[in-house]
Amino acid sequence: MGRLLKPAGAPAPALAAVLALLGSATPVHASELDLSVDLRAVSSDALPSRLGGGLGTLRYDADHQGLRLGYLRAGLRADLADSLRLTVEGVAYGDHDVNAVDLTEAYGEWRPLPAGAWRSRVKAGAFYPEISLENRMRGWRSPYTLSFSAINTWVGEELRTIGGEYSLDWLGLAQGHAFEWSSSIAAFGWNDPAGTVVATRGWGLSDRQGTLFGRFANRGQPLGARTVFYDELDRRAGYYASTTLRYRGLLELRALHYDNRARLGIEAPKIADATWLTRFESLGVRWTPTEPLTVIAQWLHGRTFEDAAPDNNDWSFGSAFLLASWQQADWRWSLRYDRYRMEQTHSTFEFLPFMLGQDGHAWTIAIQRALGEHWNVALEGIESRNDTALRAAFGQPTAARERQLQVSLRWEK
Amino acid sequence: MQFKIARLFLSVTASTFLAAIACPASAGEASVTVLSVTGVAVAGAIVVAEPANPVPRPAALPRAVMDQRNLMFVPEVLVVRTGTLVDFPNSDQVRHMVYSFSGAKLFRLPLYAGRTQPPVLFDKPGLVTLGCNIHDNMLGFVYVTDSPWHGRTDSEGHLVLRDLPPGSYTLRAWHPLLDESGSQLEQRLAVAEGPAANVEFHFKRPLRQPHMHHGANKKWEDY
Repeated sequence: MGRLLKPAGAPAPALAAVLALLGSATPVHASELDLSVDLRAVSSDALPSRLGGGLGTLRYDADHQGLRLGYLRAGLRADLADSLRLTVEGVAYGDHDVNAVDLTEAYGEWRPLPAGAWRSRVKAGAFYPEISLENRMRGWRSPYTLSFSAINTWVGEELRTIGGEYSLDWLGLAQGHAFEWSSSIAAFGWNDPAGTVVATRGWGLSDRQGTLFGRFANRGQPLGARTVFYDELDRRAGYYASTTLRYRGLLELRALHYDNRARLGIEAPKIADATWLTRFESLGVRWTPTEPLTVIAQWLHGRTFEDAAPDNNDWSFGSAFLLASWQQADWRWSLRYDRYRMEQTHSTFEFLPFMLGQDGHAWTIAIQRALGEHWNVALEGIESRNDTALRAAFGQPTAARERQLQVSLRWEK
Repeated sequence: MQFKIARLFLSVTASTFLAAIACPASAGEASVTVLSVTGVAVAGAIVVAEPANPVPRPAALPRAVMDQRNLMFVPEVLVVRTGTLVDFPNSDQVRHMVYSFSGAKLFRLPLYAGRTQPPVLFDKPGLVTLGCNIHDNMLGFVYVTDSPWHGRTDSEGHLVLRDLPPGSYTLRAWHPLLDESGSQLEQRLAVAEGPAANVEFHFKRPLRQPHMHHGANKKWEDY
């Protein structure tokens, strides 16, 4: 645990690899570049955010109100060949990250023409696993709310597939069937620190994604040093397997099993951390019974270990949410309920006289209106009530009611 | 409910009456109705009259268009005569990669936008299923036939095939949501002097449920 307080080392040196990939690419047939700017007006009484090294659950805290940059992003999709597409997502959040501009994804996808009903796809690079049913917009953003669910906030913070993924699709629709099916398996590295945030701060509700080379400046607070999420420490690949079933475009089910297969006990002074062995399962469903209505539910449960002896320090964590969204003409109304908990089940942290844990829930309501083709305005309110044990170590009350109100003005092209 | 049935009956009767006035009964017409397994009118069914003696193909056939708009093929079903050139313009802001693995026409167009691709020649009769490798939900059909006599049923499941020379024909019915095969989809028809022949098709199984695109947005990109 003490290692969490140490300053961070240098960021992961994978940037060169991505730049090499970009530089060595064959001539581009055609490309699409889309841009987004999201400005926020924020009112918040939340505890200090993780972005400042705090243990609050929301993106903006009481010290970060007023006018803020939600994000500035650019997405590039370049077709290197008929079946080979390169995707790069760049983003700036205007917060404490040492990199003013960074990447959230950079990958190539080979998508050959199907052979009858079957098609294989291969992705390589850095990208999100197919787990979320709410992050549907380019740049892994949600069209429903400004802040993601607790589950997908964590996915955005700590998880990225840096490796390769093979997918097999069964395109039943073109064969006259009502179902379509897809399964993927991936092998990845650079995710050995995954689990740190959910085991300490616990869950959060934010749209602030972790960037591939980013790290937060050390603010001298509990999570300030824990900044590099995507690092390879043990030279052992992790894996996940996922499957998706779609019915007539009305129902989509997703399941995923994730295991980063980290070898425990490998110290990494340069990032002031060690390997975390993290495994979880996720189930999700999206139901769109009518044109305006979308209902999404997702459940995730996992365990994480941080010690050479697996039973010394381990945690279980879980969350679920239910989201309903109604769109009519230019308006969209969304309501989401998140339930989240984290519990340390064994501890060797002698300096902490208690087990780490978190128990909380949150309500999120968002109203959006599209203003023509390029503009969108949104109002979102969150109330997150939680009890987070680690706050006691810093003389704070463990229980908190955190509220955040945001108005977003977004331009997109 | 009774009111709706009465209104439907009046509507059908009136349209039949008007059709009779507009198209006086004569040799060379077939009045076709397509009904579902429960006797409900089936709209959008394709009916083709194939003559027993093949019709010579004209030297030049008009070009046809299968557009791509809002991530859909428009029209969903295009019926063309064998030998027709079909243009595949892409009217969307995003690129498409159109392909078919159907036996009647195996082809693929490279990733493209706008009107950059040459037309595709459909030179064999049969049903061609279209897809897009980028957007798996896009589904369209080209129904290729040697016959110049074909049409699509209206909202009352009705269509009139006109200008049929006297002779023997096989009438075939098809629908993009058809979930059956068999002799109920074919009917023999002898066209002779006299009033228009009335033909009814009765499907034996319910049509499949259509694939919906609820809640999606063409700007999104599902992860």
